[in-house]
Amino acid sequence: MNRATITETDLHAYVDGALDSRRRALVDRYLAEHPVEAERVAAWERQNETLGALYRHIGDEPVPTRLDVHRIADAHATTRNTRPWRSMATAAALCLAVGLAGGWIGRGYRVASDAGPAALVNEAVAAHGLYASEVAHPVEVRADQQAHLAAWLSKRLERTLVLPDLRPLGFGLVGGRLLPAQGQPAAQLMYEDATGQRVTFLIVAVSDGHETSLHYGDEDGMRSLLWTDEGIRCVLVGSLSRDRLRDIATLAYEQLG
Amino acid sequence: MAAPLDAIEGHVPALRRYARALTHDADLADDLVQDSLERAIRKRDLWRPTGSLRAWLFRILLNVYRNDLRTRRRMHAVMSPDAPLAEPGVKAAQHGRLALAETARAMQALPAEQREALLLVAVEGLSYAEAAAALDIPAGTLMSRLARGRAALRQAIETGPPKLRTVK
Repeated sequence: MNRATITETDLHAYVDGALDSRRRALVDRYLAEHPVEAERVAAWERQNETLGALYRHIGDEPVPTRLDVHRIADAHATTRNTRPWRSMATAAALCLAVGLAGGWIGRGYRVASDAGPAALVNEAVAAHGLYASEVAHPVEVRADQQAHLAAWLSKRLERTLVLPDLRPLGFGLVGGRLLPAQGQPAAQLMYEDATGQRVTFLIVAVSDGHETSLHYGDEDGMRSLLWTDEGIRCVLVGSLSRDRLRDIATLAYEQLG
Repeated sequence: MAAPLDAIEGHVPALRRYARALTHDADLADDLVQDSLERAIRKRDLWRPTGSLRAWLFRILLNVYRNDLRTRRRMHAVMSPDAPLAEPGVKAAQHGRLALAETARAMQALPAEQREALLLVAVEGLSYAEAAAALDIPAGTLMSRLARGRAALRQAIETGPPKLRTVK
């Protein structure tokens, strides 16, 4: 046996039962010859047993009715007409189709007292105008540092931000930057398609993160979509068709939180 | 394709256990699971099953947990090392209450990212691939969190809890 082939990952996988029998036998032999490593592995095994003893029984407890997924699904289905996302998106699209574009549309939309969402859209459109046309420095952190970008923006917004993968719709990540908006840190994410068409997201953290419907905006061909979803408020901006924008928003919504 | 309800239901006990192990607070844990299930069910139509449903559910739970943690820093008070732990079971006698208490305390003292990783693998039995997906990190990062968590836990248990019981 070549001892060098036993890695740290093998030792963990040994403890976690993730090795096949052949590999397991190799580790057994390795441990027989390396008492210090063997003791380390034995300590990990004791940890696993102790953690199991501490927590495993919780999985045997009866599940309270409030965690009954069928009940939750039923409640969701009955409130669906008043709860937004897809039905509202459809309603908004229909409204637009009959020519009501140009403002805030959406049955059930209530104007927030601080006018925060509307102000955010203006800031998002302004930021889009400023940076989407930028050739040399469209973003602060480029897509090749995607992990860093996600970690950095998540830290500054104090929200776990997943950078949406929009490649199924033909849009690749350009990168992102940090901006001030509404007196707090905001993340701007930029994507572009093969033709160089760019869309941006402006994202801020909100404390009252209840899900809202999609709100369309349209200003001189610059269209926007705003929604709030569990701790973040997001504006998508681009000069695309409404349908295309909504497809992008839907895919992003699905991945963002 | 929507994530099937029955399949989600099958993972609820594990989600409760994981949430409880993260928070050491039964009510808070069930709140997190409820929020996560509502979210999962709301999004299940949009979800395309490209990977493990279990990993997806744990990922939702982790996101809900982290966002909740950020908005409610007071959770640190809830997670005091002296919070009641497991009910004394048959296992407790075998392992000794001391080992259980020391381990629980050492777990709560770990950095959150190491605790999250270790619990997914050691208690929930997720494969490394599933755990990495649930935590949204590369496999190598998962292994290094596991390694650091296990090393810290071992040191804390073998050398006793010198600085773990800092008074707030």
